[in-house]
Amino acid sequence: MLEEIELPKKKLSEDAVKVWWICEVIENVIAFIILAVLFYLDYRFSWKEWVGWILIGLAALFVPGLVWSAIEPKWKWKGWRYDVSEEFLMLKQGVWKEQQQLIPMTKIQSVATEQGPILRKYGLYTVKVETMASLHTIPALPRNVAFGLRNEIAQYAKIKEVEG
Amino acid sequence: MIEAKRYHPLLLLLRLARLIKNNLIIAFFLFIAKAGSDSTFIMFAKYAFILYFCLSFLYKIIQWFTEKYELDDRSFRLYSGVFSRSERTVPFSKVQNVNRHTSVFNRVFKTTSISFNTGSAGDDAEVKFEVISRPEAEKMESFVANREVNTAVEEEAATERIENIEINLPERTLHFKPTNKDLFKASFTSLSFLFLIPFLFSIYGKINEIVDMREEKLEESFSVLFDSLWMLAAIVLLFIIVSVGFGVTRTFLKYGKYEISSDKERIYISKGLVEESAFSISKVKVQAIEITQSPLKHLLGLAEVKLTSAGGVGIVDEKLEVDTLYPFLPKARAYEMITEILPDYAVKGEKEMTRLPKQSLLVRMFTPSWLWMIATGALYYFREKLFWDEMWWETSLLLLIVIYGVRLLDFLHTRYLLDEQFVQFRKGGLMTTMFVTKREKVIEVSVTRNRFQRTFGLASVETVNRAKPVRHEGIKDVPVELAAAFYNWYRGRTKEITTE
Repeated sequence: MLEEIELPKKKLSEDAVKVWWICEVIENVIAFIILAVLFYLDYRFSWKEWVGWILIGLAALFVPGLVWSAIEPKWKWKGWRYDVSEEFLMLKQGVWKEQQQLIPMTKIQSVATEQGPILRKYGLYTVKVETMASLHTIPALPRNVAFGLRNEIAQYAKIKEVEG
Repeated sequence: MIEAKRYHPLLLLLRLARLIKNNLIIAFFLFIAKAGSDSTFIMFAKYAFILYFCLSFLYKIIQWFTEKYELDDRSFRLYSGVFSRSERTVPFSKVQNVNRHTSVFNRVFKTTSISFNTGSAGDDAEVKFEVISRPEAEKMESFVANREVNTAVEEEAATERIENIEINLPERTLHFKPTNKDLFKASFTSLSFLFLIPFLFSIYGKINEIVDMREEKLEESFSVLFDSLWMLAAIVLLFIIVSVGFGVTRTFLKYGKYEISSDKERIYISKGLVEESAFSISKVKVQAIEITQSPLKHLLGLAEVKLTSAGGVGIVDEKLEVDTLYPFLPKARAYEMITEILPDYAVKGEKEMTRLPKQSLLVRMFTPSWLWMIATGALYYFREKLFWDEMWWETSLLLLIVIYGVRLLDFLHTRYLLDEQFVQFRKGGLMTTMFVTKREKVIEVSVTRNRFQRTFGLASVETVNRAKPVRHEGIKDVPVELAAAFYNWYRGRTKEITTE
């Protein structure tokens, strides 16, 4: 921890882990199919030797990838924190690489809530915050929290800085 | 205030000329190369082309008649559209910088082009007048400049201030104008004399196309030349003289008549002997300053200073680097000038900045180099096809040494400084860059730390600034205490900003 920094405190919904789990399973199945098709094509049309080596390399990475997929959602959830104050939006995320972002409210240009099919199953929403520089997402918040957050940010972001 | 009016008539001429130029190749192909062809496809294509060309020609003319511009107290109003009419309003307060460029076309007709760049994305990011009379451009630029800062303030107060400005027209101070000595130095530093070599090659290529030069014949004539040592020496000498002359001329054309000046509100940079360009930016809209030095410039004590604007540089050719103060400034003068032009930026020299701790070097040395791994893999795979017989592992080793050498240099060059008002980052292996920005101009910050850095008590800091494209700048592997201080420093920005 960066001890001297006042850290954001709010956590995501605990269901986020399940949602990410489902996503990981879907992604891995798709990746597996693609890899299998590539192996078949490589065998069928006898592609160049190095293609085979790259495929073997990818397959070798696939197994540790599976293990990572199984444990990552839990860690990711543990690492995620967010908070808003009148002046800043604070985000903290990352497992291997921990990242803390500080975004002034006056620089926020738009805020929206979104929901995909998996999130809908658990009644969760994603809050998307757009600034002049980038798009920040706070994934998987329960409906009332997400809507509350969206309205709060919209309220604070109304204030504009006098530009130079 | 400028009443609604049409664009300069020469703009129509320029557009028509451009239309003809763009279609010349197709016309050449259809009517000259394929003149004798009786294929129905070519026949059809010819008629289609004539129809298309006439319609485009007509369209350009009608387009010119429908386009108008107007400047009111606060904004540009641009009217356009032949079929669907559109009206665009661009407030002066959104203008980030102004570019003027006088191409050869403009020079011939004693006109100029001017563009006002805003920070927004997309095609509408700039208000551009490709052909405009010089007094009109002058008038427009000063009009916008006087209002762009004030439009946010209340109307009444604004008019008052504008009147003030108009009464005591601000004096421009000249900060830099290269002397002939500076230009000579610049032409050697930029290695511009080396440009003769590709130039000669292209000439040779062209001659070769026209006159069929047989390889044997060439070899013969070359061997005659090289037989006599005197001849060879003369050729080498001639070549050196010509290339230096070429380089110096090139530099004089590009950087001659360079001028950096400023008044209370704005900075002006102008340059070019044949094609003139000018850049001006309001001081408060400078988002950051960058000082870069190539290894050669390091040796000669020169530096390049660049101003970052949220508006980008726009239409003007990127090669002209109009936002650059002057690429070959003596370093001490560069620092001095920044303080003269932008008193808010009290840029400190690298001696006053903090170096990275030793742990950073350790972390950097242990970070795997993907470039090296991939290159080594490729070298191994292609080992039999290399020109230098199977020396794949030697090459790989050399690459590794170079990569680590650059890493070491980067470590030695990296410094940082966190001040109450601004932050300074310096880094770079061969080419060093010093980035300076003010707290109020930073639009986002982030602090990151991976497990590796964590073990050694390090972290990485990053600032995000408005620019085109958005500028991410930062330093890796700073002490964690600095990272925390940096984060809290940014939190403190609320004290100094004013809200509407």
